[in-house]
Amino acid sequence: MASLDLEGRRVPLENGDTVASALFRAGVRTFNRSLKHHRRRGLYCLTGDCPNCLCTVDGEPGTRACTTEARDGMRVRRETGRPSVEIDALSVTKLAGPLMPVGFYSKTFIRPRIAWETAEKVIRRATGVGTLPTDRGPRRVEVRNVHADVLVVGAGIAGLGAALEVAERGERVLVADEGRVGGLLAPGAARDRLATLAAAAREHDRITLLEGHVAVGIYEGPMVPLAGRDELLRVHPCRVVVATGAVETHGVFGGNDLPGVWLGRGAARMAGAHGVPPGERAVVVAQTDEAFEHVSTLRRSGVEIAAIVAPAALADRAPGGHRVLRDGRVVAAEGSKGVRAVVISAGGARERVECDTLVLSLGLTPRDALLRMAAEEPVVGAGEVVRPGCSPVEAEESGRAAGHGEPVERRPLGGVVVGGRGTVCLCEDVSIGDLRDAWAEGWRSSEILKRYTTATMGPCQGVMCGRLLASFAATEGAPRAGARTTARPPARAVPLEVLAAGVHETGTKRTSLHERHLEMGAHLDRSGSWIRPYRYGDRHEDYLAVRERVSIMDVGTLGKFLVAGRDARTLVDRVFPCDVEHLEPGRSRYLIVLDEAGYAMDDGLLCANPDGTYTITSTSGGSDRMEAGLREWIDRWGLHVHLLNQTAMLGAVNVAGPLARELLERLTDDSVDRDAIPYPGHGRITVAGVPCHAIRSGFVGELSFELHHARSRGVELWDALLAAGQDLGIRPHGLDALDVLRLEKGHPFLAQDTLPDDHPTKLGLDWAVDMTKPAFVGKVALERMAAFPLERKLVGFRFDDRPQRGAPVYASARVAGRVTSCAVSPALGFPIGLGWLRTVDGAFPERVQAGGVMATVVPRPFYDPEGARIRA
Amino acid sequence: MLELARTRTDVVMCLAQAETLDALERPRGALPIRVAPDELLLLGHPGSARALERAAGAVCETDDDALVTDVSDGWAVWSIAGSGWRDAFARLSMLELPRAGVVQGDVARLPVKVVADGERLHLLLPSSWAEYLRERILALVPEVQENTEPHAWTAPRARHA
Repeated sequence: MASLDLEGRRVPLENGDTVASALFRAGVRTFNRSLKHHRRRGLYCLTGDCPNCLCTVDGEPGTRACTTEARDGMRVRRETGRPSVEIDALSVTKLAGPLMPVGFYSKTFIRPRIAWETAEKVIRRATGVGTLPTDRGPRRVEVRNVHADVLVVGAGIAGLGAALEVAERGERVLVADEGRVGGLLAPGAARDRLATLAAAAREHDRITLLEGHVAVGIYEGPMVPLAGRDELLRVHPCRVVVATGAVETHGVFGGNDLPGVWLGRGAARMAGAHGVPPGERAVVVAQTDEAFEHVSTLRRSGVEIAAIVAPAALADRAPGGHRVLRDGRVVAAEGSKGVRAVVISAGGARERVECDTLVLSLGLTPRDALLRMAAEEPVVGAGEVVRPGCSPVEAEESGRAAGHGEPVERRPLGGVVVGGRGTVCLCEDVSIGDLRDAWAEGWRSSEILKRYTTATMGPCQGVMCGRLLASFAATEGAPRAGARTTARPPARAVPLEVLAAGVHETGTKRTSLHERHLEMGAHLDRSGSWIRPYRYGDRHEDYLAVRERVSIMDVGTLGKFLVAGRDARTLVDRVFPCDVEHLEPGRSRYLIVLDEAGYAMDDGLLCANPDGTYTITSTSGGSDRMEAGLREWIDRWGLHVHLLNQTAMLGAVNVAGPLARELLERLTDDSVDRDAIPYPGHGRITVAGVPCHAIRSGFVGELSFELHHARSRGVELWDALLAAGQDLGIRPHGLDALDVLRLEKGHPFLAQDTLPDDHPTKLGLDWAVDMTKPAFVGKVALERMAAFPLERKLVGFRFDDRPQRGAPVYASARVAGRVTSCAVSPALGFPIGLGWLRTVDGAFPERVQAGGVMATVVPRPFYDPEGARIRA
Repeated sequence: MLELARTRTDVVMCLAQAETLDALERPRGALPIRVAPDELLLLGHPGSARALERAAGAVCETDDDALVTDVSDGWAVWSIAGSGWRDAFARLSMLELPRAGVVQGDVARLPVKVVADGERLHLLLPSSWAEYLRERILALVPEVQENTEPHAWTAPRARHA
């Protein structure tokens, strides 16, 4: 016979069992302990709403036993209690109630600070919620996108009615239910009708029925994530029908959380669907006609009905043969391990009725979190979520109306009585007394009561207690104070590994030379969105090759653009602050790209081509921003310009070093001398048979030619350069060497050495801005800022010893800046750096301290200040 | 069987005024993808770039500013074929696939133009992202078999643009 294992005990299974029904049949009554006071908790709702049956099943904590199908070999462990749920030493905390007042976390362990760090660990262990498995990695959770005309959440009578209606109109519909269709219904007419609808839905080719999928929330779009066991579906419907039903209203009275207190539908399901009587002798509190159906179900399973407590208006409809206490009210449930008696107040007298089961049928509270978070999305409700307590026929009709897209009018909910004693929030163990205390302390609306007491913040997400909290606040204060708290995802508890599925995707770009770098043993890593080589073995050797011989670097990551069209010149002239008017074909200019506020966004080169077009380069990380910015100006000014982003189609190799020209001359018949391709300038040459756009650049401080070429020819060019330069001592260099090379030239790395509000003056790049131009983007802002004294600027440091990058800079015992880049310069033989410096007492200090190291502020560039080497 | 393969293709970019591009006759054997009012991509079989440039050069006759250029190096195409390719795509993107046609948007967090016909799916993206997309497809669709032998592009039968 199939069985599961409960903490080493074999528990037999029967057909249709859930974990909860199997355990209950085997005599388990305490499933859990409450969070703070370690009170016993037993089965209560059996609909997956309350937290009372949370267990660890097959290593997965926080599993609801009442909706989890039992399988042979399952291993189940109850999560709370020390040493066990049955014998819990921590239940003494019940007696420590006065020491654990509401708002406990906000009032205690505040000083010394270490007190909370210690207390937090103890409290976390004491609460006893499940332990995450550490012996396995996260499960593989597949993410899929699904498109449908209509998504129906909830496959009850209303949901399936809606789905069939939608499908019959010719639309595609996806129906999702967190459990099995019909799994929560006791035998009867409703279950029969549901079976008929489910059979029709399964046969309909426009309906997809998904069981075991929880709707996490409703997002803009609408987009509804459906969490299954091993998959997360992102559903993109045109509209949504929410048919999530209702849960019976939680009652508040003393002892309301004792094992043996049941919600009516839960008790009926245990008796009717699982064939296990929830107790031997029951008191039924009936405030709905449905309660009388529960009475019949309980009787059929052999439960003795000790009394029915009903308002006078209902009492006459109670099934005969039972004692009916008219207009009665439950004052308290008594017992320690479970219910032993119920105290009822009726007709001005109190009566104690001995029983082991108390069944509550107090009305219905809609599971309307999805509806409440839908905001402006095309979402309608159907069935009990909008008409709690409606008949099966009414539910189906409302579903069909919702399927047509008609909003179903919500039946107004009456207030619920929240008084006396008892637990309001089962998840967070918040009592009515706690709420009163919080109210007295001044927390006087449902929203701030929620934050202070944590009521509604547990696994049920306020399904059981949200309405009670609102009613409490409305009763104590103004109706506005009692508004329902904001509904947010997740509407139901979902494993974090499911929520995290798919979010790790961060794309990386590769140049055409990626495989070559790997073959050469380069150390590759991310740099922005690119994978780039940082070094090829010894970074100092990489550096020396540039300074002393010749080296190549893959700079295919640079942004590369072609600007064409009759207004190409107008565009670059109006956008960029450099002198475009005098830029002759074959020449180029350094570009600092400004936004309208005059702040530096990016930098690069502007090359004037003989055919009237312009080639622009940008930094590797700035190409998207450059493209977006240029397109915006083209549109805004209505220019006849075509912008072609060539970043992906062109590779680029920078050939740098004093022997760079000699190397190129070995591979080209074209002239690469100073007249043919001057600095700053560019030209078209063919290198090793590969057509290249050669652009003189100066970033590393040596004679350099950036060779832009067709991406597909990159490997051919790279190999040819390396082969031809063997006797010249060629080797490639990566970002590590580049960092030192450009630092010696005093060039900032944008973003690393700059701040978002840097204008050219702060960066020492005034020379790149032609303020005599009539206009360019950012000019007005620069003119305005020029009127203010400069209080911060990027400077060069010569350090007495090597500091740490990021170290604060001090002057006159005040923080005056920060080191943004630093290195020991191999060319100069001492540590240098870039960093921010503020004025101190109205002047920029000349001698500072950074990270314990003294430094002198020196002019940039540090290396070859005349620029003779780059002009070679 | 679900198959992933690289597809070799030539791509020509036409930048011209919208009405000029509207009037351009579709070059034979090419798939036109209108990515913007003033931007048209022509996809053709490998080696067809010159012919496509010539055919599309007609736009220069009516638009002095038009630019027609071979951008084949800038694009890569991955193709997914075989049973279940639509389901495979649903694991990569929230885009809704047409029965046959072109959509563009986010696929595995990358900017991709998607060409669907009744039998397969072509994913066209900037070549610097190509390897990353391949890795994501293999990770997210583990049942896909990679064919390391590239296919040559053939235009889908249905009209797309």
